Order: sequence, then structure tokens, then C-alpha cells
Amino acid sequence: MAESKPTISFHDFTSCEGCQLQVLNCEDELLDILGAVDIVEFREAIDDKADSYDVAFIEGAFTRESDRKRLETIRSKAGIVVALGACACTGGLNVLKNFRGLEKSMKTVYGDSADWYETSQALPVEAAIKVDYKVHGCPIPRQEFLEVVTSLLAGRTPRIPDHPVCVECKLRENECLYHKSQYCMGPLARAGCDAWCPSYGGRCYACRGLISDPNNQAAFDVLEEFGLTIDDVLTEFRLFNGVYDVSQPPTEARVEKQ
Amino acid sequence: MLPQILPKDKLADFARFLMGEYRLAAPVAKGHQFAFEFIETPEDVGRIRMDYDITILPPKKFLHPMYEELLRFGGRDPATGEAPIQAEPTVILGAHPYDLHAIATTDAAMRAEPADPYYATKRDATLLIGINIRGYVNDEQFMADMRTTEPPEGGWDLFMTDLGDRYYVEVGSDAGSKLHQAAGMFTQAAGDDHKAKQAFDNEKASNLPKRLPYDTRYLPELMSESYDSLLWDAVARRCFSCGTCTNVCPTCYCFDVQDKLNLDAASGVRRRQWDSCQLHTFAEVAGGENFREHRSSRLRHRMFRKGKFIYEQTGKPGCVGCGRCSVHCVADISILEAYQQIADEAAVSAMEIAAAREESQ
Ligand code: SF4
Ligand code: SF4
Ligand code: SF4
Ligand code: SF4
Ligand code: SF4
Repeated sequence: MAESKPTISFHDFTSCEGCQLQVLNCEDELLDILGAVDIVEFREAIDDKADSYDVAFIEGAFTRESDRKRLETIRSKAGIVVALGACACTGGLNVLKNFRGLEKSMKTVYGDSADWYETSQALPVEAAIKVDYKVHGCPIPRQEFLEVVTSLLAGRTPRIPDHPVCVECKLRENECLYHKSQYCMGPLARAGCDAWCPSYGGRCYACRGLISDPNNQAAFDVLEEFGLTIDDVLTEFRLFNGVYDVSQPPTEARVEKQ
Repeated sequence: MLPQILPKDKLADFARFLMGEYRLAAPVAKGHQFAFEFIETPEDVGRIRMDYDITILPPKKFLHPMYEELLRFGGRDPATGEAPIQAEPTVILGAHPYDLHAIATTDAAMRAEPADPYYATKRDATLLIGINIRGYVNDEQFMADMRTTEPPEGGWDLFMTDLGDRYYVEVGSDAGSKLHQAAGMFTQAAGDDHKAKQAFDNEKASNLPKRLPYDTRYLPELMSESYDSLLWDAVARRCFSCGTCTNVCPTCYCFDVQDKLNLDAASGVRRRQWDSCQLHTFAEVAGGENFREHRSSRLRHRMFRKGKFIYEQTGKPGCVGCGRCSVHCVADISILEAYQQIADEAAVSAMEIAAAREESQ
């Protein structure tokens, strides 16, 4: 029966590889995963090893036009494409360079050698190819990776939360940061991390992206009343969610096209 | 069952006595706020804060936990299923009167036939020891209007009032009576104790003025008449639909059920988790239809649940006036303010209806 096991692959684009590390961190479940699937490619150790994958996990942002071809090849070989982590889902922190200006960013990173490297706007993977599911987060929560793997093995749609981090934060009975004179993106950010940051005293930066109907108007109002300037608010939005057009007049429309 | 006296310096002994027989939950400090927690070790008894102002989550979390396993299954065959309906004998020490009322409300919803076996089993195994309040602890509370400043008729076991050096302990049930007898540290209250309790009550009443402009017997009707008010849209402009207001509410009991599968794609657990009518996914059904797509209709729905529906369904207050929803709302949306405003809103719509009638004649 070994040959009938579903095949899965992992592919790297512009990222810190922290999300693949999270996959390897699933110590308790790793053996079970390896028993249930065949991992045919991992970090492209051997190029184009397999002809097809049932599920391809793509980590990292799309930041070089020349990557488009590789993404398209993966898409054509894969039954299901899953974007793994903030970089792949929203462009992640990489999007910051779009706001700084590409030239300036290149100079800062590579100095005089900047010309040797290719770059373009940092974008989510779905800017190049169709993505079927997203595992959000910087890094991804292990439990969500496992939910996606088990659901796909069972042939059902993974349940990815589409409600704010505040839900998980309150269920952990955390003291709200707004009560401690700090602000937080929790009311707009997608849950699923078990309110990681507020539970350890930090504020939420919405690394898991925004929920599909964030109330941007409320965010601007509340954060402004809290003493933040419009620039502060935009900076807060842009850290992980710069690809969304949050600087436009507020709207209740879904900002994330599913 | 006459009131008893527990000397204050015996509280720790009483708590340790309770821990010998039960799992003990009590209020403790959590940062600058308070939370009910299980007291695990005899040393932890010192953390109990009977003088807490209000807890972040209400004690419902012990009866209807945030996450609860409903079923374990080994595969697709129903015979492999196993429902872990069980409860350890538990004492919740230090529930305020409004939270005792809220438990009476959730009892009416969850224990009514067909009862929720997970809730009912825990509730049957739980004793409630209340503690009195002295007044409001924030501007969002309105227990006097909701008639929840005193414990409800029944449903609790002991109820303590802090008289300085001693607790005046009222006995609400046979179980409560047995409990204080078995503890052996209580004496029957005497004349001075009753007098001190009366003085406490008088002062308490003066600290708990009503905060609504009308009697709450009119609340359900005023709600109905403000259904089409623009108030809900105006308030919802600031609402994140984050669900905090329902998660911290002692009378909310909605939950969502999900199956978590193991990697064999066959075995797993069925869990429930608190859900909230404020989340946009709440009223979404198969096919993508959403019965309450707009956040203003979700916000209005919550206010109606609290001010009208639950009361009409259970005869118990849907809102006990504890103020948690408003205090924890990051957008400062206040249910008290909304209830204050609907009297005018309803009057305006009555005027409009009368004017329209006149015009059509
Ligand atoms: S999402 Fe975060 S952790 Fe994952 S690859 Fe990108 S930067 Fe690294
Ligand atoms: S700390 Fe942040 S995530 Fe938690 S309740 Fe407050 S706003 Fe929401
Ligand atoms: S709390 Fe916010 S920033 Fe932290 S992991 Fe969760 S979504 Fe990311
Ligand atoms: S009223 Fe406040 S707490 Fe409730 S959903 Fe709206 S923003 Fe969240
Ligand atoms: S609606 Fe608000 S004030 Fe009323 S019981 Fe719930 S949390 Fe308390």
C-alpha cells in the first residue's frame, strides 16, 4: 500500500524558513505524518525530483519576477497548493520594502553589490498562482499545520479561524492590553495562534493577517482616541498586512479575496 | 436555617477544609484584575481575594468551560465513541450576587429538559458560596436596575457578608447547612451580628442607585420598539465584532462544535468551544448565506438577547448588569448607555408612527 500514500512537497521562496522549522517542531506528530504521507521534496534539495504532488506547501513571499516560473511549475504539478506562513500568505514582513522603496532597501541590505541582485515588489504567492489554502502566521502555529494536513488527508476543508485574536485572548482570560494603556491589533487579526503574543505580554501585530471583515473605521477611531497618529496606525497595519489597501477610505468589503 | 458567623481569621482554615473534600475555585489577582482559579495547594489559599472587585471571566467557565470534550471516537463506527460526561465535586467560593443570578439564568437554559448533560452533571456536583458586594465597582454596572444586588431565591448554598472581623453567612440549602456543620468553625449569628448586617445592607443600598431612566419591567417592550432605530447602526460603526462582550458575559452560553481528527483521518475528539453571535461566521450557514451579515444586526441581536429574549424564554434576567461587556469592549461600547438611550429612541419611533397614521388619514 506504500505507493498509494499521498505525496506532499515543501518549497522555499523569500523567507527566513522559520515556518518549515515549525513543521519540524511537530515532534510528537512527525512520525505519524511520515507514516501517512510521502514527502517527495523538502526545501528543493533535488530540483524537480517528483513529477507531481498531491499537496504542495509553499513557504516565502514572491519577491522576484523570475520566481513566477518556478511557482507556475509547482502549481501545474500540484493537486492542492497551500501557502505556508505570513510570507507566502500576505507577503509578510517583506512587504515593508515596498513602502521604503525597492532601491533604498537593496542599498541597505547589499550596499555596493545591490546591482548584482534581482528584486521586485514583495507579494503573496497568490499574486502569481492560485492558492487553495493558507496556513497563516509568522511563524505558523504548529496546530494549524496539523489541522490542514489531517483535514486534507481526510478529504475535508481545513477549519481556519476567521474571527479576531481577541476571542482566543478572552478565552485565556488575559488582561487586555488596552486596559494596560497599550494598544493591540487583536480585534482585526485572524485568530488561530491561541492569542500567542498577548498571552506573553506582547501586543498582536496581526502576523496571521486580517479577518475577512475587519472594521477598519473602528480601528482608526479607537487607535486615534488612544493617541496614535494616522501614520502610527498605518505603520501598525503595514507591518504584516501591507498588501491590503488599508489606507483607502474605510470599507466593510472583504479585503482578503478568498 | 439561621445565619452563621465565620471569624475572618478562620477563612483560610475553611478554604483548606473545602479543599479536602472538593476542588476549590476562588477569586485571585490576575495582573491588575481578577480571575476565578482553582486553588491547587494549601499555600495557595493565601492568594484568595474575597475583596476582589470583579473577575474578567464569570464563574460560568467552570460549568460550561471554554473548551470541552464531548466525545472521543476511535473510528467511523459509532461503537468506538465514548462521551466523557463527568464532574469532580467542586466548590466555587466568592461568587458575587449578580454572578449567582447569572448561574440561575444559565441553569434555566441548560438544565431545562432536554438538559445539556455536560453542564447538568457539573452543575449537580458544584456548590456555590457567594460573597456580598458593597456597591458598584465601575460606571458600567447597573445591578440595581436588574435586581441582582442580592442573591437569587435559590440555587446557592452559602452566602457571606464581610462584617470587618467576621463573615455573616446565610445558608441557602441543605448542602450548605451540612457544609458549615462539617467544617466546625461556624457559630450561630447573635443580635449584634444581625444588627451589623442590617447596617451593611443600608449602606450597600445607598451605594447602588438605579442607573436606567425607567423600570426594567419596560425593557423588553422598549427594546421591541427600538428595533428599527438608527442607534444600532451608529453604535456598530465602532464595533469590531470581536466577541469579547459575549465571552465575558455571565449569561452567554453559545458554543460551536467541531471534530478534531487525528492523522489516521478516522479517530479523534469532538469538542465544543464558546462561540459568539458577534462573529460574522456565527450565523453563516451552508451555501454561504448569513442571517446576520451586518455588524449592526449582530450588535442589536446581542442587546436583544440580553434585554428581551432570554428573559422571555427563561423568566430570568438575560442581563444581570455586571458591566463586564462594556468594561472589556476595546471600543467602549456600553450596554448601559444603549439601554439608557432606547427610551428616547422608542418615543421617537412612536411619534413617527403616530405622524404617519395621521398623514394617511
Ligand atoms: S512567516 Fe515568518 S517565520 Fe514564516 S517564513 Fe515568513 S518570516 Fe519566517
Ligand atoms: S489584548 Fe489584544 S487580543 Fe487581547 S483582548 Fe485586548 S485587544 Fe484583543
Ligand atoms: S497574537 Fe497576533 S502577532 Fe501574535 S502570533 Fe497571534 S496573530 Fe501573530
Ligand atoms: S461591542 Fe465591543 S466587545 Fe462586543 S463585539 Fe463589538 S467591539 Fe467587540
Ligand atoms: S450583557 Fe453585559 S452587563 Fe449584562 S450580564 Fe452580560 S456582561 Fe454583564
